[in-house]
Amino acid sequence: MTGPDQIARFSGRNAAYYAKAFGAIQGHAGPVPSFNLAAAAFGPLWAGMRGLSTLFLVLCFLDLVALSQITSGIWGNVDAAGLARVTQLEATIASRRSQAAEALANGNAEAAATATRLAANLQKAADAARAEADQSRDGVALRVMVGTALLAMIRLATAFAANPLYERRFSAWRGDHTLPHGAPPLRLTVTVALVAAIYGLTLYAFVTSAPPDWLTTFPADKALFTTVERWLDAGFDAAYVSGRGVFEAIRDAIRILVEAFEAVLVGTPWPVVMLVICTLAWQMAGFRVALFTAAALAYLGLFGLWELSMLTVALLGAASLLCILFGIPLGIWFARSKTAFAAAQPVLDFMQTMPAFVYLIPVIAFFGTGKPPGIIATLIFGMPPVIRLTTLGLNGVPEDVKEAARAFGATEWQVLRGVELPLARASILAGINQTILMCLSMVVIASLIGAQGLGSMVLQSLQYAAKGQGLLAGLAILLCAMVIDRIVQGSFRRKP
Amino acid sequence: MADPVIALSGVWKIFGRAEQAALADARAGASKADILARHDCVVGIADASISVMPGEIFCIMGLSGSGKSTLLRHVNRLVEPTSGDVRVLGQDVRALSPAALRQLRAERIGMVFQHMALMPHRSVEDNVAYPLELRGTSKAVRWRVAAEKLALVGLQGYGDRLPRELSGGMQQRVGLARALAADPAILLMDEPFSALDPLIRRQLQDQFIELSAKLGKTTLFITHDLDEAIRVGSRIAIMKDGRIVQTGTPEEIVTQPVDAYVRAFVQNISKLGLMTAQKIMEPLAKALALRAFDIGTARRAALNTNLDALIGLVTGSDVPVVIDDGGSPVGVVTKDRLLLAIKEGR
Repeated sequence: MTGPDQIARFSGRNAAYYAKAFGAIQGHAGPVPSFNLAAAAFGPLWAGMRGLSTLFLVLCFLDLVALSQITSGIWGNVDAAGLARVTQLEATIASRRSQAAEALANGNAEAAATATRLAANLQKAADAARAEADQSRDGVALRVMVGTALLAMIRLATAFAANPLYERRFSAWRGDHTLPHGAPPLRLTVTVALVAAIYGLTLYAFVTSAPPDWLTTFPADKALFTTVERWLDAGFDAAYVSGRGVFEAIRDAIRILVEAFEAVLVGTPWPVVMLVICTLAWQMAGFRVALFTAAALAYLGLFGLWELSMLTVALLGAASLLCILFGIPLGIWFARSKTAFAAAQPVLDFMQTMPAFVYLIPVIAFFGTGKPPGIIATLIFGMPPVIRLTTLGLNGVPEDVKEAARAFGATEWQVLRGVELPLARASILAGINQTILMCLSMVVIASLIGAQGLGSMVLQSLQYAAKGQGLLAGLAILLCAMVIDRIVQGSFRRKP
Repeated sequence: MADPVIALSGVWKIFGRAEQAALADARAGASKADILARHDCVVGIADASISVMPGEIFCIMGLSGSGKSTLLRHVNRLVEPTSGDVRVLGQDVRALSPAALRQLRAERIGMVFQHMALMPHRSVEDNVAYPLELRGTSKAVRWRVAAEKLALVGLQGYGDRLPRELSGGMQQRVGLARALAADPAILLMDEPFSALDPLIRRQLQDQFIELSAKLGKTTLFITHDLDEAIRVGSRIAIMKDGRIVQTGTPEEIVTQPVDAYVRAFVQNISKLGLMTAQKIMEPLAKALALRAFDIGTARRAALNTNLDALIGLVTGSDVPVVIDDGGSPVGVVTKDRLLLAIKEGR
C-alpha cells in the first residue's frame, strides 16, 4: 500500500521530510508549491544522489553555462577569437582588392567588378565581427552579473521542481522496483566524483590563461589516421581496377537512361513537352493538378529556366525511376525475409545518415564525374524510404486477408499481386513520394560532381552569394518536384 | 456407411524448432508445460482424430487457445501437421503437390473467417468472385456466379458496394457467399459468427442452418459457444489444450458429459431444445392402464416432435397427446409429463 512506510523505503535518507512533502503533493489534485532546500543548495549533486539522472545532466549543463559566464567574465579573454576572425577576414579582403586592381589593369572589367563586390561583402562581415568583439569586451561586468543571476534562477527552479519530480519517480517506482531509489553511498560517491571531474576540468580550462594541451585537445594519433587512410585509398583503387568493367557498364546503362529522358524532354520543342506533361497530369491526376502543372511550367519557361529544368527533371526522373524499380522489389523481399531485413537495416541507416558529400567520394572514384555518378549518389540517398515504406506497408497487411487468399488457392504471386500490394498501396505511395523528395534534395549536391541542371545553378549562386538567382533556381527545383510528385500521387490514387 | 469427407487421424501439431524431438516426448506422455520447458515448443494439437461424414455439420467447440482453429487449418493444409494423417475427399492432403493443393483449395473447399477477411479494395461482387478469378474463370461467368451467390445469402443488389459500406453481419454473409462461390464440397467455418453481436449472430445462425439444409455441404464449424454448436451441429467435438475431449451428438454431449470439463460447459445449457416426444412420453400400455381415453379423438404427434409443438398440442384439451411411431401409437404425453420435462430440462 502507498503510505509513509513505502515512501520511507523509497527515499531512504530524510524519509520523514519526503513523507510529508509527498503527502502534500498526493493530497491535492493540482500543483502544490514545495521548496526543497537540499536541491537548492546542491543542485546536480542532489539530483545525482537521488538517482534522477536526466535532471542531473540537465542541471550540470545549466550550471556550467552560468558558471562559464561568471568565470570567463572574470578571468577569460573572450574577444580573442572574435579578433582573430577579424584579422583573417581583413587579409582576405586585401587579397580580393588586389585581385580587382589586377583584373582592372588587365582590362577585365567584369572580373574586377565581381572581386570588388566580394570584397565589399566580406568587409561587411568583418565590420560585424569587430563590433561583436568590441561589445564583448565591454560586457565583462554584465557577464558576471548575468551568470550569477542565471545560477540563482536555476537553483530556485530546481528547488521548486525537485519534490514534484521526485514524487513522480516514486509513483513510477511503485510499479517498477528496478528504478533507482533511496540514496545509497555508492551512487553518492559516483555523483560527487562526476561533478568534481566535470566542474573541475571545465572551470580550470576557463580560469587559466593557457590551459595545458592535454585538456583542450584530445591526444590524437595522427599516424593511425594516416595508416587507415592509406589502406582505404589502396582498397578503393584496387576495387576500381578489378571491377572496372562492371562500373563502366553501370555508368553506361544509366547514361543511356538519362539521355533517353533528356532526348524526350530537351530535344522535343517546348510547346509539345508542355502540352504532353499537362495532358498527362490531367489524365493521371485530374484538372487541378493539370492547372498547377501548367502554372509551374509557365514559371520555368518565363524565367528562362526551361532547358535547365528539363535537364533536372530528366535527372530526377531517371533517379526516381531507378529507386522505385529497385526499391519496391527490395522492400517486398525484406517484408518476406526477416533475416534479410535485419541485415539490410544497418545498411539502410548508413545510406540515409552518412552525409551525402562523403559518399560522393567513392562514387567519383568508381564512376568518375558527370550525370551517371550524380544519379548513383542520388540513388543511395533516395532509395531507403521506398524500401522501408514498402516493407512497412506489406507487414501491415492483415494476416487473415492473406490467409483467405491462400485458402482459396492463391499462389504466393497471386497473394502479392491481388492482396498485399493493393493493401500496402498507401504506404508504398508515401515511400515513392518520400523518395522523389529525397532525390530532389540530392539534385543540388549531385551538381557538385557535374550533374548539370538547376542544381548547378544553385551551386553557382552559393559560390557567388547571388541571393536572387539562388532563390529563383531553388523555386524552380521545388516546382519540378511538386509536379512530379502530384502526378505520381494522383495516378496512384485514381488507379485501383 | 459412406466414407468420411474429412478424416483427420492421430494429428499432432507442435510449434517450435525442435518439433520432432518434442513430438517424441509428447507421445511418451510429457505434459505441455514440460515440453515448453524442455524443447521451447508449444503443443498446438495433441493426437486429434475426427471424421466428418457427407452432408454433416461437424462442430469443434473449445475455448480460445484450445487448438480448434489450428485443427481446422489442417484440412486445407494452411497448417502443416507435425504428424498424423489428413484425408479430404479420399485424398491424402499431406501428399499433394503445391499445384494439386491449390486446386483442392480452390475447387473443393470454401472457407469463412472470424473477421470476414474480405479484401477492402475490391467490390463485394469481386470479393465473392475471387476464388473463381484465381481459377482463371471468365469475367462474365464470375459476375453471374457472384450475383447468384449473393442472392443466396440475401444480399442481391449489393454487389457494387465496397465491403466497408456493409454492416458486420452483411460482411460475413459476403464471406459466406465467397466460400460458396466455387461450389465446393466442403465448407470450413472458423468462428464465423463470433465477432457479431448476439442478435445478428442468431439471425445468421438461422440463415446458415436453412442454407446448409438446402445445399447439403459437408461443414466443419468452429465455435467457442456451446449453444451455437448445439444449434448448428449434427455432431460436436469438444477440445481442450489441443486434445479432443469428447465427440458426440449434441444430445450425447449434453446428457452424458465424459468429464468435469465438459460437465462444466454443459451445466448451464438448457436441455429443453433436446427434449422430444420420444424422451418424455409414457408407454402406451401404462398410460391406458392408468386412465381411460379415446385414442381415436386424441391429438397425434411424431416421435421427434419438440417441446414447443407438444405444448401447442396439449393445451386446450384434457386428452393426452398420442405419440406415433410411423403410424402406430407407442406412447402418450400428458400435461403432467410435459411440466416435469420442462422442470428437468431447464
